[in-house]
Amino acid sequence: MKKINVVGSLIVALVVLTGCDSKPKEEVKSYKYTTDVVYKETCLHCHGAKGEGVAEKKSPAINKLSIQELEMALFDIKNGGLGQSTASEHEVMEHNMKKLSEKGYDYDIKAMATYIFNTFHSSK
Amino acid sequence: MQSDNIIEEVLREIEKQESVLSRREAMKLLALSPLAAGVLGSASTTTSAKAASNAKGKIVIVGGGLAGVATAAKLTHNLSNPDITIIEPNPKSVSYQPGQTLIAAGVWQKSDITYETEKFIPDGVKWIKDSVIGFNPDANKVSLKNGTEVSYDYLIVATGLMLNFGAIKGLEGEITSSGENEIVKKKIGKEGVYSIYFADGAVDTYKGIQELIVKAKAHKGSEKLQAIFTDPDTAIKCGGAPKKIMYIAHDLLSKAGVRDKVELTFCPSGDKMFGVPEYHEAILEQFKVRDFKWEYKTNLVGIDTEKKVATFEKKWLEKGEYDQDLEEYTMVVKSQNVEKKYDFIHITPPQKASDIVGKSPLGSSKGWMPVVKETLQHVKYKNVFGIGDIAALPMGKTGGSARKQYGVVVDNLIAVMEKKEKLPAAYDGYTVCPLITSLGTIMMAEFNWTAKPTPSFPLDPTQERWIWWLVKVYALKPMTIYGMLSGRA
Repeated sequence: MKKINVVGSLIVALVVLTGCDSKPKEEVKSYKYTTDVVYKETCLHCHGAKGEGVAEKKSPAINKLSIQELEMALFDIKNGGLGQSTASEHEVMEHNMKKLSEKGYDYDIKAMATYIFNTFHSSK
Repeated sequence: MQSDNIIEEVLREIEKQESVLSRREAMKLLALSPLAAGVLGSASTTTSAKAASNAKGKIVIVGGGLAGVATAAKLTHNLSNPDITIIEPNPKSVSYQPGQTLIAAGVWQKSDITYETEKFIPDGVKWIKDSVIGFNPDANKVSLKNGTEVSYDYLIVATGLMLNFGAIKGLEGEITSSGENEIVKKKIGKEGVYSIYFADGAVDTYKGIQELIVKAKAHKGSEKLQAIFTDPDTAIKCGGAPKKIMYIAHDLLSKAGVRDKVELTFCPSGDKMFGVPEYHEAILEQFKVRDFKWEYKTNLVGIDTEKKVATFEKKWLEKGEYDQDLEEYTMVVKSQNVEKKYDFIHITPPQKASDIVGKSPLGSSKGWMPVVKETLQHVKYKNVFGIGDIAALPMGKTGGSARKQYGVVVDNLIAVMEKKEKLPAAYDGYTVCPLITSLGTIMMAEFNWTAKPTPSFPLDPTQERWIWWLVKVYALKPMTIYGMLSGRA
C-alpha cells in the first residue's frame, strides 16, 4: 500500500511540475463605486484634490508615483504586505483601508493605480 | 528524452532513501499509470508543438541561477537562431535552494543541493564567468568586473537578491545563498546563532539544533531554554522558511525527548503568519497544537552574540484623534525596543536587491527592479525583462514563482523581438510554498495575487499531508533540476 502511495505521489508531482495543473476559476469581483467616486469621497480628504498630499494629516503626495509604484503600494495596503508574510509598509493606511472596505469603498488595484496616475501624475 | 531524465532522477532519489520500494517496482508502476503516460507524452511535445521563431538579436542574461538558466534553455528551444550570453561568476550558481530546509533537518547533505553550473548551460549559449558591476540601459550595455563591456539588444535581469545580515546591528555582510560568506560566518553558524538562508548556514543550523538538544538534556531548573525565530520587515525568499525551521527544530527536539525544556517563540515583523488568510489560520492552528509562542510586530534589529541578547523593535498602533473626514479615529504608529535573551536564535536576514541593480537606472527607490507585474517587462526599458527574486513583484521570490515566470518572459521577449505590439503572456502571481510542518508532513501552500489558495489538486490545501512530503523530498528537486533548467517543465 505504502509503495503505491509513493508512486502515486510522484505521478502527482509530475503533473504539477509539467504544468498540466488545472486553472482555478477566475473570480470576477464587482465594486460598489467607480474609482473616481472612491477617490473623491474618501482618498481626497487626505491625499488632496490633485493627489498632492495633506501635510497636517501626514498623508503623502501620490502624484509623482509611477503606475507600477502605485500598484505595488496599493497591493501592500490591501493585502497587508508585499511578501508572503511580511508586514505592510503602510500600516496606518492598511488600517484605514480596512475601515473603508467595510463601508463599501473597495476598488480593483490596477484600476485605481491607473486612475490616480492618469488623473494626477505631474507629467499629465 | 527529457522526461526520461526526470524519471531517472526521481528513481535515483528513491533509491538513496533506503528504498521504500525497489526501482523495478517503481518503474513498473509508473509505466502502468495512464496518468503518467499522458503527462510524459505532453512533457515531450509541448516545446516542439510551437514553431521556433526566426527573430534575431543578441540576448544577455545577467545571473545564472534557476531563473536565468531556465530562461536561456527555453529561449534556445523557441528561437531558431538564438544568440544568448549568460553572465555569472559563481561556478555553482544553480544550487537547489529549497533544499536548505532539508539540510537543516538532517535529511539532506549540502552535496544534495549543489550543482555545477557548467552542466546546465544549454548548448550554444555563451557563458561569461564574471560579475556585472554596472548597467547602462540607455546605451544597451553592461560593464564587467574585468573592465570590459558587453552590449546587448535584449537584456534579462535574473541576478537574485542579497541576504543583508549587515542590516542587523552586531552582524556584518551582504551575501548570496551559495557564494562567498566568510564575513557572515564570523557570527552566524555558531554559539546559538544560525540561519538556513545560505547553504553553509543550513549545514551549521543542523549542528546548532543538535547542540541545543545536548544543552536541553543537561538543563535543570524551572526556566525553559529560549529558542527564537525571526522574520524581517523586507520582502524575503520563501515566506514559509522562517516557520519551517521552527517546525523542524520542534520535531528534532521532540524526537530527542527534550521539547518540554525549550520554549520556541516566533518573532515576525508582521502581524500575521501568512498573507493568504486560509493559510494564516491553518498555521495558527499548527502553532497552537505544538505549543509555539509568537509575538507579532517584533522585528530583530540588533544582536549581542557575546551576551546572547537580541534586540527587537516592537511596533503597535495607538488610537489618535477622531478624523471627521474618515469618520474613524486616526492611528499613530508607536515603537519601542525590547531585549530578549536566547539560547538559540534562527535569523531570517533582511533582504534587498544588489546595489548594482538597485542603484542603476534599472532599479527603483526600493532597489527591486520595477517590471509590469503581468508581462515582467521593465517599466521603462522595453528591451529589458526581469525574473526571479530581483523583480519588484508582490508575494513571489520562490523557485515555484520563477518556474511560472520564465515561460512568460520567453514568450514576451520573443514578441518584442518580433516587433509585436501586444505581449502575449501574463504572470498571475502564482507561488508555491511547501510548508514543512514536521519531518514527514507538508502543507502545500499554493496561491497567487488574488491572495486565495489556488491548489493544483482537489485536496484541502490547508491540511498537512505525507504525500506532499514525498513530493518535496523525492520529486521536486529532479523536476526543477532536470525539468525547469532544461526549459521544459
